[in-house]
Amino acid sequence: MTKLRRTTSLQRTQQRMAVLFILPALAVYGLFVLYPLSLWGSFFTWKGLRMQEFAGLANFSRLFVFPSGARLYGALWHNIAWFFGIMVLQNGLGLLFAWLLFLRGRGAAFFQSVFFFPAVLSPVIVGALWRLLLAPGGIVEWALNGLGLHQGSLTVLGNSHTALGMLIAIDAWNWMGLPVLIYTAGLRQISPQVFEAAKLDGAGNARMLYAIALPLLMPALGTLTTLSFINTFNQFDIVYVMQGVQGNPSYATDTLVTYFYRLAFGAEGAVGITDIGLALALGTMLFLILSIGTLLMLRFFDKRTVEL
Amino acid sequence: MSATSLQALAIPQKLARLPGWTILLVWTAAVLLPLYILAVSCFKTTAEIYDNRLGLPQSWALDNFVRAWTRADLGHNFINSLIVTGGAVVLTIVVSAMAAYPLSRYKLGWNGIMLGLFLSGIMLPIRLASVELFTLMRSLGLLDSLTGLILVYSAIRIPFAVFIFANFMRVLLSELDEAARMDGASETRILFQIVLPMVKPAVSIVAIFTAIAVWNDFFFPLIFIFDDRYKTVPLAISVFVGQFRTDWGLVFASLAISMAPILIMYCLLARQIREGVGAGGGMK
Repeated sequence: MTKLRRTTSLQRTQQRMAVLFILPALAVYGLFVLYPLSLWGSFFTWKGLRMQEFAGLANFSRLFVFPSGARLYGALWHNIAWFFGIMVLQNGLGLLFAWLLFLRGRGAAFFQSVFFFPAVLSPVIVGALWRLLLAPGGIVEWALNGLGLHQGSLTVLGNSHTALGMLIAIDAWNWMGLPVLIYTAGLRQISPQVFEAAKLDGAGNARMLYAIALPLLMPALGTLTTLSFINTFNQFDIVYVMQGVQGNPSYATDTLVTYFYRLAFGAEGAVGITDIGLALALGTMLFLILSIGTLLMLRFFDKRTVEL
Repeated sequence: MSATSLQALAIPQKLARLPGWTILLVWTAAVLLPLYILAVSCFKTTAEIYDNRLGLPQSWALDNFVRAWTRADLGHNFINSLIVTGGAVVLTIVVSAMAAYPLSRYKLGWNGIMLGLFLSGIMLPIRLASVELFTLMRSLGLLDSLTGLILVYSAIRIPFAVFIFANFMRVLLSELDEAARMDGASETRILFQIVLPMVKPAVSIVAIFTAIAVWNDFFFPLIFIFDDRYKTVPLAISVFVGQFRTDWGLVFASLAISMAPILIMYCLLARQIREGVGAGGGMK
């Protein structure tokens, strides 16, 4: 009886303490993350930063037609190209690097540390550094001219055909260490006997990677694909630092978040014409793309996970 | 098998490994070369950067660093970044550990739901909420304020921190806090003096990844900070790149200064960082 009373009183204390302990985290998280994410303002008209009246889906339909339509489809296309570029350049090359390091074993920690280092740097620093290196008169131009691979002034960032590709490559340079580390962790979980058996059957390294390692790396690939998807569709920093918030030249590197930023906060700094209703509609749409895309990807890779 | 035939076998094997090593070394160069150029250019005048592209500087003059620190006032931004990063790390650890403790160790009946609410925040694209966040910050008087940045960063990092703390605390033996409770220790004391010291690896994971994320972030200072007095390092750098376009030595030196704290941390903690990322991919 006394024991029972003691447990209930302990439980009551625990309930009270739990509320007190959770409250600070919940308050900060709820106020600054959950509350602002209620994007219901997208259904209203706005005058500056003041909400006016209910507008139904008017903001959304404005998003897809002139003059917003061209910007939206342009930015969407750049984000999609960026995603596939990263999948090949970063997650594809990263797999090759991780596999080579796994086969060699020796020195893996050193290479991993070097490859991962750019990933702890701010994308602002990475963007600024490459902007200096790739500038007309910069060192890359000098090196390419010296090697006879190129002549005259190097304008890859000012050329609308090459600028987006350069930014994707720099983003891949920035994050290459991430796939290397995640694949390596995945490869280490595969039992060595599997590879021994394949070797005895005469499988070469390339075949082992394709036929044995890759199917077993599905969870790693799933994590990377999902992360790359989320990061690509949030891409902002590198574009802003290297090409400005307009995604120069002539919107060739514009992304959905730089477009969102211009609609919400104006062109340069805090000046320029904003359209909050349109910004919130774009934000809501992007939120849906990201949530649905992430869920679909997680399910897709979950189904393809092979157990040994 | 004779020694010569062993050697004959070993050489083709080494040759077969050559392309692989070449690929790895090419990427190592691709990473290190830009960083090397950054490091040597910090000590060169702009004219020297043009004349002597790859070589070591004529003198190891700290001129560019001094000008970046004082004339461009990067020193001020550096202190702001330190305050914001330190504040966000401490606040995140304290409130997340407090929340994770009852959620992982009490039988409340609502642990699962509450934990789920926190975890749902790990993947939320918070940038898309920046309009609502901006109006909220304005009405709270938190624009142009380092406190405002600390609160926003903590809010963003709390989900990941609660997740890590809850995972580590869940596996601690229950006798641990029960014994202390019998001795009459308060719950606050149990958390901070018994449980938290037992999950030091979790504290360091949360501290490292929160510090990196906050130190590097550029988006929130860009929308919340207008006064030069409160600008953080990445925001200042984004301005320098345009403002001091022709003064390459100064920009290179600013980049070096702003990555210095992260570089030092990385050299000291490379193994923990590698393992933390490999295990969870819990970055970005």
